[in-house]
Amino acid sequence: MRFTTAIAASLLLVSPGALLAQDQGVTDTEILLGEVEPLTGPPSLLGVAHNLGVRLAIAEANANGGVADRQLRLIAEDDGYVTSRTIQSVRKLISVDEVFALTALSGSGQAIASMPIVEQFGIPTMIPIGPLPPLYEPPVDNIFVVGQSYTEGMRQLAIYLAETYPDMNWGVVLQDDDYGNALHEGIQQAMEEVDINIVYETEYARGQTDFASEMLRVRDAEVGVLIAGGIISENIAMVRETERLGIDPVIATFWPGRVPEVLAAIGEASDGIYSVDYVAPIQSEEGQAFLELAATYLTEDEVGRVNRYTMTGYSSTRVLIEAMRGCADDLTWACTIERLQSNAPLDTNVMAPIGFGEGNRFSNSEVTIMRADYETLSFVPVD
Amino acid sequence: MRSGYYKETLVEHINLTDTRLQRAWIFIGLIALVAAPYFFDYYGLSLVTLMIITAIGAMGLNILTGWTGLISLGQTAFMVLGAYAYAISTESWDWSPLAGFALAGLVPAAASVLVGVPSLRLTGLYLAITTLASAFIVNHLVLEFDDLTNGSSGIFVNRPTILGFSFDTDQKFYYLVAGFGLATILACLNLRRSRIGRALIAIRDNDNAARVMGINLRTYKLYAFVTSSFIVGISGALYGIFLSFVTVDGFPFLLAIEALAILIVGGMGSIAGAILGAIFIIGLPEVTSFAFSAFGDRAQSMFATSAHEIKGLLYGLVIILFLRLQPHGLMGLWQDAKRLWSLWPLRY
Repeated sequence: MRFTTAIAASLLLVSPGALLAQDQGVTDTEILLGEVEPLTGPPSLLGVAHNLGVRLAIAEANANGGVADRQLRLIAEDDGYVTSRTIQSVRKLISVDEVFALTALSGSGQAIASMPIVEQFGIPTMIPIGPLPPLYEPPVDNIFVVGQSYTEGMRQLAIYLAETYPDMNWGVVLQDDDYGNALHEGIQQAMEEVDINIVYETEYARGQTDFASEMLRVRDAEVGVLIAGGIISENIAMVRETERLGIDPVIATFWPGRVPEVLAAIGEASDGIYSVDYVAPIQSEEGQAFLELAATYLTEDEVGRVNRYTMTGYSSTRVLIEAMRGCADDLTWACTIERLQSNAPLDTNVMAPIGFGEGNRFSNSEVTIMRADYETLSFVPVD
Repeated sequence: MRSGYYKETLVEHINLTDTRLQRAWIFIGLIALVAAPYFFDYYGLSLVTLMIITAIGAMGLNILTGWTGLISLGQTAFMVLGAYAYAISTESWDWSPLAGFALAGLVPAAASVLVGVPSLRLTGLYLAITTLASAFIVNHLVLEFDDLTNGSSGIFVNRPTILGFSFDTDQKFYYLVAGFGLATILACLNLRRSRIGRALIAIRDNDNAARVMGINLRTYKLYAFVTSSFIVGISGALYGIFLSFVTVDGFPFLLAIEALAILIVGGMGSIAGAILGAIFIIGLPEVTSFAFSAFGDRAQSMFATSAHEIKGLLYGLVIILFLRLQPHGLMGLWQDAKRLWSLWPLRY
């Protein structure tokens, strides 16, 4: 008996996950949620907006009685978009703050790096930013990825542009990382279905600020369709450079930079830029309804910072909260994960219904092609 | 009344320890090191592990900057090289972890020759900028040779199994890191009291005088680069295992600033200072967070949501305060305290 006890104690010592009760973060009055985000520095444009979405979902849930008569509370850790800090913050949230679930793991690279820890503990985790395939292929039981892959989004955007603007020369400028590779893969997949004539393709190092050389090459190659595969500042620089050179190609960007601040920074040249996203534009009916909801629970200043990341944060947290509500009498990790897997797809009105399933941890959300409207600093779905 | 310890012979001067009290402190330190996993929780132990890894890197930098007087902002480059050398050799080539650690030291050491040779005639700011450039070059090369390094996707690193013993839990990994920490301390202490160590310090104090004394500046400066990079590379490998994922994003430029801050805060040129500095700099945000928590949830939440900026501010503030008020760092404070204890009530 003593030997068995000793073995059991040893197993507890070597297994940090086993030390934790499955319902950590839950008291009689409160449920603690946690997330790691870039809340300072340039990437905070997405981190802060996402955080607002999570807080909005929590405020809305609390106003409607919380979860099983408990109020939800969020602890948000700032990682500055630095992977090592993300990992330390995840460790802290799980073992020191003892949160019940995680609502975000920063960007895609940071989330991939944090996966071993999250998987080791088995804590329910939502990933609504940067849904790269390594996050859901193969599926990890407790990690739920909301959104659409960059590759699939790019594939659909490229097919649309090829069909709308046939016989054009294409120029492709991509970032030299996972993000750029995913967009490249999407274009390659589209080329198997439609004719795309790429006359100029290049990569740039992350952090590059001057695209004069690349845009001169775009001009010389008589590019008619330009895929500006930057994120925020890179796309701003590329579009402004085309304007300075007096060329007017059809320009397509991608959802990480589909925020009003980018359109404002580019100026009038941003009018008509194509983009693709799985989240409704702010100026759409659904977007306006979302803004009204945000105005109910957030301050005026915070409503001004709402963008697509607020919607993704809100939607994925709503899905998590609904799963927790389904476990009102048995608020454990196992039950929450089971509910996340088995619940019917949830329609949050700002993106396609979000659902998962047995062996499926990716919402595979439907995307929409849209164009920028500079006057309203927003995007409008095409046809 | 005893007014201090005086070393009268060369043997006394190069002894690793000089008093019973010092030996007692070392014994207490070793017991604390062994007992740490039993007192700290999961997060606490990860912080202590991180402190030791950081201290190893700081001791490496101390050889170059603290002893030889060569300011380097390129330590992240050598950390990245060490981390990738270990990750590629163990995960892609299936080498044993011991061979991986050897490569994690040798690759940065070899690279430091490439950085060191053109830098031999440079000092101060010029050298700092040259070494800083090396950090960017290494990051670029890692991304460029993606067949080998997996580019920006990075490489997952498993906990090592050495001689049949698996360091697969945090507690066991802590002991591995602690072992490397002790080995580094011993190596640095021995190097410091050797002919080479004295030559490096002579170069730092006055390189013209050192040259007149017959010290070959080029050879010894290169020696400092190589030794420093070897140790920093090992700390990079340990850091990669600690993160369980190696990517260039995991080694931001801020690490180089942190490393210099550690030396300034701990006390430039001192091994104990490098260790104290690492503990101080890694522990500072945690202590501050704890202090914020005393003012309620809102204050704690404010710290958490602005942690990166507050951390930057704290580092800056601490460096300024130490440079202005205590240039010899924490070791200077310790010496002052010892002097006060010995001489009180006299002032000097």
